[in-house]
Amino acid sequence: MIDISALLDEIKASPYRDIAITTPHCGLVRFLGGKVGDKLVGPQGQWKEKPGTAIATIERERNLKTISSPEKGDISVIHSELEDTFVEAGTTLAILRHMLTRQEVEQIILKRTLHLFCAPERAKYYFTPEVDKKIRSSDAKTVVVHDGMEFMIMSRMKREAPLRYSGPEGVIYAIYFTYNENVDAGSPLIGVCPADQVAAIQEMIMRVQTEWNE
Amino acid sequence: MREKGFGLNKTQDQKKKKLESAQPVVQEVPDISAHRVLVANRGEIAMRIMRACKKLGVGFTAIYTPEDEASGHVALARSLGEGKNIFRVSSYHDANELMSVADEAGCTAVHPGYGFFAEDFRFARRVKKRDRSMIFIGPSWKIIRELGDKINTKRLARSLGVPTVPGSDRPIYDEMEAEHIAKSVFEFQEGQGIERPLVLVKASAGGGGMGIEEVYDPDQFRSVYRRIRNYALRQFKDEGVLIEQRITDFNHLEVQIVSDRSGLNPVHFGTRNCSIQSTGLQKRIEVAPGFAPETLEYTFDANRVLTNIVEYSLTMAKKVGYDNVGTWEWIVTRKGEPFLMEVNTRIQVENGVSACIARVRGHEGVDLVAEQVRIGLGEPLGYTQAEIATEGVGLEYRLIAEDPDNNFTPWVGRIEHFSWKAEPWLNVLTQIPLDKPYEIPTEFDPNLALAIIWGKDIDEAKARGLSFLDSLQLDGVNGSGEPLKSNVGFLKSNTPRILKF
Repeated sequence: MIDISALLDEIKASPYRDIAITTPHCGLVRFLGGKVGDKLVGPQGQWKEKPGTAIATIERERNLKTISSPEKGDISVIHSELEDTFVEAGTTLAILRHMLTRQEVEQIILKRTLHLFCAPERAKYYFTPEVDKKIRSSDAKTVVVHDGMEFMIMSRMKREAPLRYSGPEGVIYAIYFTYNENVDAGSPLIGVCPADQVAAIQEMIMRVQTEWNE
Repeated sequence: MREKGFGLNKTQDQKKKKLESAQPVVQEVPDISAHRVLVANRGEIAMRIMRACKKLGVGFTAIYTPEDEASGHVALARSLGEGKNIFRVSSYHDANELMSVADEAGCTAVHPGYGFFAEDFRFARRVKKRDRSMIFIGPSWKIIRELGDKINTKRLARSLGVPTVPGSDRPIYDEMEAEHIAKSVFEFQEGQGIERPLVLVKASAGGGGMGIEEVYDPDQFRSVYRRIRNYALRQFKDEGVLIEQRITDFNHLEVQIVSDRSGLNPVHFGTRNCSIQSTGLQKRIEVAPGFAPETLEYTFDANRVLTNIVEYSLTMAKKVGYDNVGTWEWIVTRKGEPFLMEVNTRIQVENGVSACIARVRGHEGVDLVAEQVRIGLGEPLGYTQAEIATEGVGLEYRLIAEDPDNNFTPWVGRIEHFSWKAEPWLNVLTQIPLDKPYEIPTEFDPNLALAIIWGKDIDEAKARGLSFLDSLQLDGVNGSGEPLKSNVGFLKSNTPRILKF
């Protein structure tokens, strides 16, 4: 088991990450008055259904889209020189200085604690229909994976290949990928927790929840 | 300065007008140099479109996604274009984004290339009917709608006496119905005396040979159907499946049609044979013309088959008023029976193999992509069928990073070195930079290059083809340190059987 106190101290020493807010596609950009130092909030609500603070709008083909802050934080850079210009997809509009949330700290710790099953190739990944059905109907934690189990589909250039799990037997504790999006080779797909360690993991999460002040 | 194409240029036409001043109707030739074309595609076809525009004196604007940053089409756009002529977009599939880029760049036309929006009639209609209307460089959206629907095509073909492959007449979404159709197709074949009936199950929204499986055993049909349906839903967001009789012992032929916006005078640029394919039915070697009866022996009258499929294709093109480039795809059985498979209402990957043997008024250098742009922008074709001839044999190899010994699985990694010996009879089209390593993007098929070879006859074309493959240097490495896998060996081993049937 890892030293949770040392890890928390390490994270506390540098509790921020910079998030670039970029344009999702080409279009005409108009800023909504934000300036350096402004505090923004991320998506709110039980299902994150309320968008974060609006930063700018982008319009293409009469479709006006609001670009909102993806997380809570302060604006450290804003490219207001792009006001009223047509920009390309992926153009950085602002940089947000974001303090890590409890959930993010939990994820960092989990990634260091769980057995990570990683993508063998850059590809899109899907669970097999049976596993997918189980996850959708209940929870990933109800799925037990064991060495050699065929549980995913790797899709590359529209060709699909079955993917077998390798590693210790356990429950799928965390899922790190989304359907229809490419995952780089070596990036984690799932985090697996052996059944006898579930209690210890939950205890660690409890510690983070009590010790991490946002 | 615009290079002269095969159509009438403005000066020629003005002279012709003076000579024919007694005639009351004179066709207006539009000045296409005022146009700007959005190249709504990537890779080698984007490069061919850009070069065609440059040759015609037409401006262009290109696009790319972040995965294609290192592609040769991006570098070519920057080197050929003037001013801001390339835009990074989020996706080649985002029609809104393409339209906004076209507006920003002042484009007056959109060339879809092949794949993506090339055969999407809704996209073509949108390009034409939006407030700031543009020209869709392809057939009119109504023709794409009519011929893009395989069932409509079948019905039209049957109404004109053109033979078609038996099978389902629309995408099937219901398992019970699918089983019923499969059963009837099996029974039909048994009734025909076919010893080993075979049914083809394919994703209706698929293409390029993807999402197709064969079923020999009716008891296996359900599991194959479900697999294809699930695959189609994941890959194409449409679980519709087509069920057809699978004809096994056949050659795959094509007829290249070209017609201007009048739709009145379609011409053909001969036939192609695309029978050498991967196990997934994707083309790997294409040859023009479709058979070589003067050199090789066939169990049927090959000249008659070629004439028939050309005539059938032209009949259909005239019937619908076809008004751009297109390809009629045919299956030809060992008995010499042709069946129309489908019509591709776009420029094909393999158009260059027809162009390299074509002569217009005796001149070489036919460029079907440039012809497509020229007539797409409204110029009349400017020549007749009688002025088109062919000379020699054209051969195209598709160089792909894949493992032919492992079901043609794509290989992904970095191309370290790619070179070949230049020859006057060889044209290699590639988006891979030759002066630096290139990481193959996983978002697209690992097509590396097209090599188009000309020979005075089939034997010379094959010999030159093998000589090219022998001179090829293609090396790479993947993330695990394994060397590049390519289909060069497959192309070499299949070259001797080109056009044999």
